[in-house]
This record gives sequence, structure tokens and C-alpha cells, in this order.
Amino acid sequence: MLGLGVASSIAAGADQVLDLEVTTNRPDCLGHLGVAREVAAAFEREFVRPVYSVRETGKSVHEAIKIGISDLEGCARYCGRVIENVEVRPSPEWMARRLEAVGVRPINNVADATNYVLMELGHPLHAFDLAHLRGARIDVRRARAGEKLQTLDGVDRELSKADLVIADAERAVALAGVMGGADSEITSATRHVMLESAWFEPVIVRRTAKRHALHTEASHRFERGMDIMMARGAVDRTAALIAELSGGQVLAGVVDVYPLRRIRSTIVLRSSEIRRILGTDVEGPEVIRDLTALGFSIEPGPEATWHVVPPSFRLDVEREVDLIEEVARLHGYDALPMRVRAAPPSAERDLGRERELEISSTLRALGYREIIVPSMVDPGENARFTDAEPVRLMNPLTEDASAMRSTAVPGMLRALRWNLDRGQTDLRFFESGKIYTTSARTSEGLPAEYRVLTLGATGLQRPASVHDTARPLDFFDLKGDLETLLAGFESGRPEFAAEDLRYHEPGSGGRYFANGEVLARFGQLHHELAREYKLRQPIYLAEIGLECLLGLNLRARHFRAIPRYPAVERDLSLLVPESVVYRQIEEAVSAVKLAELQGFRAVDRFAGRSLPAGHYSLLLRMVLQSPDRTLTGEEADAASRQIMAALEPLGIQLRGA
Amino acid sequence: MTIDEKAAKTLDELGLADSNGVGELFAEVRAAIECEVDSFRRREASDSDSACEAKTLRDRWLARGHGLIAQIDQNWLKATPKESRGMVGAEFNRLRQYATSQIDVDSLPGARKTTSAARGEAARGPDLTLPGNQRELGSIHPVTRVQRELEDIFIGLGFRIETGPEIESVYNNFDALNIPESHPSRDDWDTLYIDSTTLLRTHTSPVQIRAMRKHGAPLYIVTPGKCYRNENPDATHSAMFHQIEGLAVDTDITFADLKGTLDFFAKKFFGERTRTRFQPSFFPFTEPSGEMAASCPFCGGQGCRTCKESGWIELMGCGMVHPDVLRHGGIDPERYSGWAFGLGIERFAMLKYDIGEIQNFFQSDVRFLKQF
Ligand SMILES: [Zn+2]
Repeated sequence: MLGLGVASSIAAGADQVLDLEVTTNRPDCLGHLGVAREVAAAFEREFVRPVYSVRETGKSVHEAIKIGISDLEGCARYCGRVIENVEVRPSPEWMARRLEAVGVRPINNVADATNYVLMELGHPLHAFDLAHLRGARIDVRRARAGEKLQTLDGVDRELSKADLVIADAERAVALAGVMGGADSEITSATRHVMLESAWFEPVIVRRTAKRHALHTEASHRFERGMDIMMARGAVDRTAALIAELSGGQVLAGVVDVYPLRRIRSTIVLRSSEIRRILGTDVEGPEVIRDLTALGFSIEPGPEATWHVVPPSFRLDVEREVDLIEEVARLHGYDALPMRVRAAPPSAERDLGRERELEISSTLRALGYREIIVPSMVDPGENARFTDAEPVRLMNPLTEDASAMRSTAVPGMLRALRWNLDRGQTDLRFFESGKIYTTSARTSEGLPAEYRVLTLGATGLQRPASVHDTARPLDFFDLKGDLETLLAGFESGRPEFAAEDLRYHEPGSGGRYFANGEVLARFGQLHHELAREYKLRQPIYLAEIGLECLLGLNLRARHFRAIPRYPAVERDLSLLVPESVVYRQIEEAVSAVKLAELQGFRAVDRFAGRSLPAGHYSLLLRMVLQSPDRTLTGEEADAASRQIMAALEPLGIQLRGA
Repeated sequence: MTIDEKAAKTLDELGLADSNGVGELFAEVRAAIECEVDSFRRREASDSDSACEAKTLRDRWLARGHGLIAQIDQNWLKATPKESRGMVGAEFNRLRQYATSQIDVDSLPGARKTTSAARGEAARGPDLTLPGNQRELGSIHPVTRVQRELEDIFIGLGFRIETGPEIESVYNNFDALNIPESHPSRDDWDTLYIDSTTLLRTHTSPVQIRAMRKHGAPLYIVTPGKCYRNENPDATHSAMFHQIEGLAVDTDITFADLKGTLDFFAKKFFGERTRTRFQPSFFPFTEPSGEMAASCPFCGGQGCRTCKESGWIELMGCGMVHPDVLRHGGIDPERYSGWAFGLGIERFAMLKYDIGEIQNFFQSDVRFLKQF
């Protein structure tokens, strides 16, 4: 209920180990103390802090160590204590068990004490072997050019001038807030311990850790923002613990370098703003009680406001709305009211969506199944299908997913192969997605993205059944599907042109264009590519430019009176020279502009045997109709003659004439 | 003269050089067919031996060589001089089509082709229990189906759909959403980069920024689309996935609107008996932030395998839009407030259809696709 999700709860002896999901804004809950405070506030119980006292010897810490901060930007506070004459040995049973329960491997009593306090108070500490701090000095500064440090993990690191380090009189001995140095590590030979409890600037720790590809318990906390007040308490607590576990003596006093006090600024919390954001009033006493329990100081201000100062451990709270979230959290989200709120009425239609729905419903009716394929591809494979440069990724997962595709064809081929390999041979797929290229840029300078619709079809157009024989799918099935799709739009009369793309079987490719823009390219996959992709049957592919198609209006609907007089059909059995293609016939017939000609189509075409050499036969069926009378046979004959006259320049004759 | 007699003569012999007469002659033949089929049908209703009669009828008209149509072809069409054949040819084609459709198809539905079924049935009549001639419809991908369903719920509430580029600026994807490079929250997103200023969007939230800048307030939108994460694939993770986010910005928008509208949405999607639960969470771009869970649609909240016995299913992150995010979108946070949510469409599809592995969506296996 607090926003601390319990991922798991496991018994560990008499204790229960809760695994909490702590969000990045709540570093104060990365320790038992912070979680206890939350629970106490939520359940209105008393919050009890751990009790400890440090017994100090007569010798002053200042005799043992000198501490300075050269880089105040990176380190706002540094507390040091010295414990002398420690005996480094394994921790007692209770300590080892507690650390293991929270997933920390026990090392020795000194290191374990720092880890224990890390888990208890949430504050990271570091213990140095004082004997290895040259000059008995500590300085917090940026690394020098060419400076090196071997960290605790045994890695020799080349330091950057931006890295914040802890240095002794001569050299860096730790990466501040990230990891200690190997040289000053606590070992069984260590006699005197210098204990560090500091406050490092989150962004600087984060950058240092990133630069060295390190992520430690310490850096995880410092980059989220630690409690600057806790630096002092944590060093006392740890020193007391080390003394207890190792028999050492804590020197008198703390070297507490904290030159510029950090003061949290006051936030004005308006009761009206609580209502504006939460949609309900929260009573003043509740606000005061909740925020106080969470460690905020709160004073009444003028006119239903409060002056609130967040505690030092809540760096995430900076604004009024952050306080409102705290109030809502403790009030309980489930206790807040509900209201369904619709947008103001609008008659605006989403034409783009209507068009997309038209496309997918048409394709579904035509038997195509929608697929979704990965956008990330192997750039080498991509290059075999297009010259457009794909968009390469800087940090890909794998080489075969290292670029954003600039063609959708390979994805379709892989989808077809997946199924053919599994014995599924009759396939019709469509994929509506994007292609991406650096060959063009948007007005914002981003790589261009284009929406494309890709069709892939193979196998039988009609399966064998008890009623019918099977028929394989061919080029004209795909072409017909495209024509059906385009007919749903105001595409005018899309023009066809033969054109092979590089992946087309020679002589099998074509395209449709309207208003000078290419709407679709389609054809049969080249047999060599088919062999490489292990596609053992003819594959038909179409690429449709969606930017272009979606820019067209849906077919306009308007009523035209249904003719009252019957239509007359006339079949023209044509003998056509082989050099003449259907489109020429189509154009010639259309050019006659016969008012009575309602339509015409080729119903039969054959070549061979009985025909004169170099010719084929085409049966053209015309539908003739007049809106105001029944056409006579003479009129129909006259129309036929006009059409024949238009076809004769192409060398076309009536068969048998 | 009967039709049979006329069919045995040529047009010349029938004295029909004039084309109007030809039209009438063909009309007469069609009328004869209609009449015979009609009478056959009436007898068929009372006579058990209709299959036999149907065969007789078909042979009479359509038999090769000696059927009436074959005779008409021979005597009327082929015997006509070539120059006047065009008209007769057209009429004959129509007649043949008509005869075939009336006699071959309507009278003997099972005998259209000499398929195995037809041969067995010639004597008994068609086996009407045979399956019909189905046409296989295609299918819409389950992710698209769920996306549209989610969109439709919000369109019903007057929200509009907004889309944006998948290759985005680091600024729109992170900085404008209050996720600076310097803050560890940026590590919550495993990001695929193009270069230091460009990336594959990790959520559709940059579309919210774009829409705020473009349209200003009030604004009610949903933003569906592909997103990417640098994640190794497993049962529930995929480097590419689909997200839909929602955003409402207006005067007088409160946390109550967020809760009420998302509760309404969950009831529409999972059923009216669905209950919702809101818990605090953290997202840099919302404040207060929350997670919405719904009572498990599989067990109704009793506890089952899908909800890991908890009775609840985490559905989405949500919250009140952070004032800095409104500001980055060019909207005054003192005057306007807003709520937002974001959810993974694959997860909703997996819940809706009980799909166990996210990889199923992207394999294009037709045995999977057919189920939707
Ligand atoms: Zn359940």
C-alpha cells in the first residue's frame, strides 16, 4: 500500500526476509531504518531508532588522521573516525547469519560492520587500513591526469580527471562512493582502521561509476541521493560496532568536514492544490500527522496552507506536488474518489483509422492473415533487397538484429519459410509496419520512417475439395488482390507498368502507380533467392506504400440510377498480333468513348494450332446499355463496328472475318 | 416446329438471315429450357427417382455431340457464314452459359464436376451432408485485435489516436519526461541507441510530448505503437513490443478522473465484475504515480496460476502528469492538470487469449494466426 512492493517473503530462522521493490526515487528505503519509518507512519505506530553509544579512548582522532575536501562540488560532507588495535577476524555467528539473510557474504568483522550498517541505516561506509594511508591524510579531490588505481575487484583503472577520488597524501586510494582501493583494503594484518562516512554528489558518483562500468551497493545509493545528516550517525554506529566485534579502541571525536551546511528549502502546500490534484479534500490534521510521521516538519501558514520542510533523507521531495503524493500515499489511493471523465464532445472523424480498417478488412476477406515481424534485422540480408541504408544500432543485442530494416521483404520471407518448414504450404500474409532509413531525414533530422504494407502469398489459390479441383496461386491472383484493394480507394485508374525489382524473377514484376506516385510493386520472388531461403514453391510478394495509399480517400459513394432498359452483350472474337498487349486494347476501346459501353472484359484468350502464326485469340465481352431505350441489334452491331475500327490500327481483326 | 426440330435445321433453312429473328429464336430456346427445368423441379419434389430424370434432362440438352446445345452449335452457329457469325456467336455463348447454369448446376448440384462424390451420387442424388464450398477468411493479428479493442474503449470516451516516430530523440524519450541522464531512473529503461542523441523509443510517451506541443490543452489522446528495449527475449520479454498510453489534460482533471476512467476501462475490457486496486509507485513523469491492478479475470480474485494465487493482476502504470512534463509540452501546470497511463498490449493479449509466450506473436506461425 506504500509503494514498496513485496516481491517475496522467505523465512530465515526466526526472522522473515522480505524482498522489497524499492523505486529509484526512494533511496531512504534502501535500509531497515527507512522501511521502518514508512511502516510506522502507515500503521500509525511509534518509530524507534536503534540505540548505540560509542566508548572513546583518550587519544584524539585528530592526532591520527587529517581530512580535507578539495572538491566541495563532489563531496559536501566527510566524517572520519579511527579505531585502533583491531583484531581482524571472522564475525560472530549472529552477525554472519543476519548478513547472509539479506544476501551479503560475511568477510571479516570490520568489513561486516560497515555492511551491517549499510543494511541497517542505509548509509554506505568504507573502512581503510590506516597504515596504508600515506601521510595519514585524506583528501577528496578529482583524479589527476594519468592517475591509476587498483580497485578492490583487482582491476587496474586509468582514472579520468572527472572522477571523484579519495586520496591520501600521495595518490588515489578509492573511487569516491563507488569502490575502495586494493592497497588500503582491510586485511588480517590491519591494526588501525580509518572509517569513512561521507556524502557524495549523486550525479558525480553516477558518472564515475558509469565511466568504470561499476555498479556497487555504495554507488547504487549515492547516485540516488543519501542522507547528509546520516553521515555522522552512521560513522558513530559503525565505529561502536567495530569496537565491539574486534576489541579495538575508538579514538576520541570525529573528523567531521562539513563546511557548507545544506538546508532544505520550505515548500508551501496549499489545501486547494491537494483538492485540485486529488479531487478530494484531505483534512488538515491528517495532513499534519502523515507528513510529521514521515519526518517532515510542518507549520501552518496563512489561508489554508502549510509550510513544509522535507527531511534530509528525502531529496526526492522538492515540489508541492511531491508533498501531495505523500499525502495521497498515506491516505491510501484506494480511499480516494473515482469519477469517469470523457473528453469534450467532438465530431472529428479519424479518417486515417477508417482507411486502415478498410485495408485490413479487405485483406482479411481476401484470405490474408496479418503478421507482425521484428523491425530489427541483419543489415547484410537487408542490403540484398534494397539500396536504402538501414538505421544501425549503436548497442545491438546481436549482429542479426543490429539495424532497423529499410525493407520489409526479408521479414516476410522468413515468416513464409517458418511455415513452409513446418508443413504449412498455403499461405497468404500481410504485414503493416514501418521501414527506416538514414538515406533520408525528417524535418527534425531523425532517420526517415515510412509505413509499408507487405503481402506474401504462396501455395494453392483454391484447395482440392470434393466439389472442386485444386488450383495453384499465380501472379494474377496477387495482381487481382491488389486491384481489389486499390478499388476501395479513390485511386483513379491506377496504371500498371512491368518492372522487375532486384529480387523479382525476371519478367515477373510489375507496379501500380497513381498520380505519379508508386502505390505498389509486386511480382514473383527470384528463383535463386527462393532456393537460398529454402522456399520450394513459387512465392509472390507485394510492397505497398502506405503513406501513399492512406493519403487517398476511400471510394466515394454516390448513387446512379439503375438502368431501366436491358443490357445487350456482344462478344468480339479477336485475332490479335502477339506484339499487342491487353493494355493497348483496353486503351483503344476506352478511347472510343462510346456512351452505351457499360464495360468490357477479356473472357478467353488462347494461342496456337488453328490460328495464323504470330497471333493469339482474345474473346472480348462488351456490355452495351442505354439509359433511355432498349438497344436494337443494329445499334449493338454499330457499336461493335466502331470498336473494331479502333482496334484495327493495332492489327487486330475479327476471327473468321 | 418443336425446339428439337428447329435445332436440327440451319438458320438459313429456318429463313432467319435477319438478326432480330435470331435473337427471338435464342429467346425461344431459353424459354424452353426454363420450362423444362421448372417442370422437372415440380416432379422432383414428389418423385424419388429425380436423379435419373435429371440425368435424362441433362443428356437431352448438354450431352456431347447429340445434345440440343451441341446441335445448335453445329447447325446454327457453325453453319452460319463467318461474316454474320459474331451476333450468333454472342447469342450462342449466352445460351450455352444459361443452359449450363440451369441444368448442370441447379438440377444436379453434386454433379457439377465428375468428382468422386458426383460419380457416387449420379444414382442417388447429391449428398447434402457434404461440407459447403468454404472460402477461408484471413485473420487479424491478436496484438492488433487487442490494440483496436483498447483504442475503441477510449475512442468511446472521446479520446483521439496520436502516433509518432519509433526512432526518437533522446530528449523527447527521456529529458522532456523528467528522466535526465544524470538520474538513475534512466537505467530503468534498457535502451537501444542509434547515436548519442537518437534512440529507439522505449515507450510511446514521447508522442505525449509531441501531442502537447502540437495541440495544447485540452487534450485527450491514446498513443499506440511499437517500442523497443535492449532486452534478451524470454517468455514475457521481447526487444520489440507494443504499448498504448493514454493522456488527458484539461482544467479540473484530478486523481479521481484517473482512477474512475481506468476502472471503467478495466471493466469494459475484462468484464463488468472486474474490481481495480491502485497502489503508489514511481515514474519520473508522473506525480503522484501509481500501479493499477485488476481482480484476476481467470479466477475472479480467488487465486489461480495466472495471478500467482494473489487474486490480482498488475495491469499498468499511471499517475498525474508531472508539472515539469506539462511544462515541457508547453502547457501551464498551474492552470491545467492531467493524468496518464501506459500498458503493454502483448500482456493484455496474453491475458485475454491465455497465451503463455510472447514470442508466439512474432513467429508468424499460421497455426497460431488461424486461432484469431
Ligand atoms: Zn487468478
